[in-house]
Amino acid sequence: MKNRLKVLRAERNWTQADLAEKLDVSRQTINAIEKGKYDPSLPLAFKVARLFEASIETIFDDEVEVDSEPSSLAPLVD
Amino acid sequence: MKSIFNALCSKGLPARDLKNANRVNLLAVLWALSLLVGSLLSQYYSLSVLVISLAFITHTVIGIAMVFAYKRYLTELDEMERKIQLDALALSVGVTIIGFSSYSILAKNGILPELNSAYLIALMALTYIAGIISGRLRYS
Repeated sequence: MKNRLKVLRAERNWTQADLAEKLDVSRQTINAIEKGKYDPSLPLAFKVARLFEASIETIFDDEVEVDSEPSSLAPLVD
Repeated sequence: MKSIFNALCSKGLPARDLKNANRVNLLAVLWALSLLVGSLLSQYYSLSVLVISLAFITHTVIGIAMVFAYKRYLTELDEMERKIQLDALALSVGVTIIGFSSYSILAKNGILPELNSAYLIALMALTYIAGIISGRLRYS
């Protein structure tokens, strides 16, 4: 999963250790999330979103395209 | 090599997690020592019921304390490290069960000697350590 954690952290001049302390996780966890090697749990994702005052979707991108056109759901509704 | 050593030593974990990990490690050493002392005493001396009971109670109580300390360690652990620990435990249990069942076929047919239970504990411990190192390297 891609994310903007490194950019948001850099904008505030925080080190990985600073962010880890604010989120109560290890620095290794922050490093793994930034590299896209580890996907955070939903509670941690909410914590990150609250810290940066943004929505989860603007920070994390699961790179999955969702077909949200109403016409594709129409046959199921009928 | 340095990264493997760091992975083995839980480098970078928060102080709270390191304290919990050290408690588990200390109890694990005491547990192993209590088993060693009990085994050695029974090997060289004819022990009274009282001494055997004391050895049994000491070893069991330390073992139970170790399990509770490990449970606390897991509960308070950083979420990524908890995933690494659970993955390592799953690997350890899986390898031991598969290894034991496969070995038992050969042992029952007389191809290999009967399995010593100490080997199972050693196999579990080694695969657990391998799982921890592999997990920490994967996420580093």
